[in-house]
Amino acid sequence: MLLTIKNFRKAYHETPILTVPSLQLPAGTYWFRGINGSGKSTFLRTIAGMLPFAGEIWLNEQYEINRHPVPYRLRVNYAEAEPLFPDFLSAYDIIQFVAKAKQATRTQVACLAEQLGVDAYWKTPTGTYSSGMQKKVALLMAFLGQPALILLDEPLTTIDDRAAQILYDLIHERQAAGVSFGLASHQDVGQSTLPIDRVFLVENGLLQSV
Amino acid sequence: MTLLLRTLVAPYYTRNAGFLGVVVYLAFGFMRPQDHHALMAAILTSPFLLALTASLWGLYTLRATVFTRQLLSEPPQRFLLSARLLPRSTRWAGWVLVSAALLLPVEAYAGWMLQRGFVHQTWAANAALTGVVLLLVSASAYGLDERVRNPYPERALRLPRWRWSIPYVLFYPSFLLRHRPVATLLSKAASVGLLIGVCRLYPTDDYDQRLLLIGLMMSLVAHAPLCRLFFEFEQTWLRLLPNLPISPWGRLGRYVLAYTVLWLPELPVLLYNAPVRVSPVYMGTLWFTGLGWLLFFHTFAYRPRWNPDRWQQQVLGGFLAGLLLIMFGIPALGWLAIALCLTGWQFVKTTPWLRNTHPA
Repeated sequence: MLLTIKNFRKAYHETPILTVPSLQLPAGTYWFRGINGSGKSTFLRTIAGMLPFAGEIWLNEQYEINRHPVPYRLRVNYAEAEPLFPDFLSAYDIIQFVAKAKQATRTQVACLAEQLGVDAYWKTPTGTYSSGMQKKVALLMAFLGQPALILLDEPLTTIDDRAAQILYDLIHERQAAGVSFGLASHQDVGQSTLPIDRVFLVENGLLQSV
Repeated sequence: MTLLLRTLVAPYYTRNAGFLGVVVYLAFGFMRPQDHHALMAAILTSPFLLALTASLWGLYTLRATVFTRQLLSEPPQRFLLSARLLPRSTRWAGWVLVSAALLLPVEAYAGWMLQRGFVHQTWAANAALTGVVLLLVSASAYGLDERVRNPYPERALRLPRWRWSIPYVLFYPSFLLRHRPVATLLSKAASVGLLIGVCRLYPTDDYDQRLLLIGLMMSLVAHAPLCRLFFEFEQTWLRLLPNLPISPWGRLGRYVLAYTVLWLPELPVLLYNAPVRVSPVYMGTLWFTGLGWLLFFHTFAYRPRWNPDRWQQQVLGGFLAGLLLIMFGIPALGWLAIALCLTGWQFVKTTPWLRNTHPA
């Protein structure tokens, strides 16, 4: 089982956001749908180990998010919907830091940068980037290392059609290599292009299989 | 007007309570009223001392104005930027009131000096004092008005970029240099000035090492806003950090390095100004103690339900408690051990890189 979630409860101060009593997901690609503010991004960020929560999240029935924080995070990558980077740093500075933490090789970094076209501007400060350029940097970082699960929040927002096609190609490539994906979006993430194993609707603080 | 006082003036005093507490402690803890009277008499009769006083007040005005200008960029206060739509006279009336409230400590001391000036009949000095205070209030009001007239200014300081990649431990120092140069400079100037001051004061009387610890504590309070800013910097600009597979102690190690960079200028200052009777080893220990407490300040910001106003008040409370404890003669190494234990405890207890602050 890729992901096992037990007694999951996420709240902001006393306001409950999402409750998942039990969920088991085998390796695959999952789309989490929901309207703005439904909690899908919070769910993804929590699975990525970025937010505290109540309950347990296991990866490959081996690594629990809080008990094994390093191996878990080594295998779960995340790209946020609207990335924001320090405007005085270059994408290169940030990617180097993330690549080292995620144990990515230089070749992998260079290859991904070339595929996404980030190498054309990655030595200039991120303050000069458009939102699409920033998004591509965030997507690049989500593919670094050897993740078992890649979580992409609103992956198509702000990127152009060409970049979207490159992203689809990258996802296909990684799916073939056995990598799982969790995509959160209120839009169609390209079901005709991507094989989606299961769609979940995040609504009224609950996760429902569609 | 009440709105301006609540949104700009109140946060200034609550968030700078530590800094103001140190100033009040310095001004009224060490000096008696008759000492102040003697000092005022000297200032009122010496143009040089008068200019020096005006310069110090100018630095305070700069600090308060820069702080408030930054406050206007924060989401809760950003709506005030629409004040540019108001008539100029209405706007200026508001800014003068805000500036007068921000400069209250200066005005109060200037008022006391004016009263002494009447006693000594130093009319020219009194006129100069009044002029300086009016000028400072006007300058501050202009600074605030300029900020709302330019709601999207070029915020980062243009510094040359170096060709090599910037490592993580330099991310925050670089942010300070480019985005908060004035606040950083003033904090470092206050910190260094306080340390030099206590080192020079030490041989003038029968002081012991408690005086150096008091100086260190005041220097740390001057750094407190920078620790809070570090936390806010990572929460805003490095949101991916919690997803990185770095062990808790690896994360702490990186903070140690970042704070070492930030606190490094104080090391030569302490060693160079070491009083004759105090060994360089003790001064080095003092520096490490400071580093330990800066780390604790940092981890303290990760407490649940944290807010900057409350945190600053807690720093001030800690400062006052520390002053009392220093009197019990706890050595510098003891203070270092306390800081490290508190940092470790806070770090393990709160899993500090995970905070429940992000909106859903």
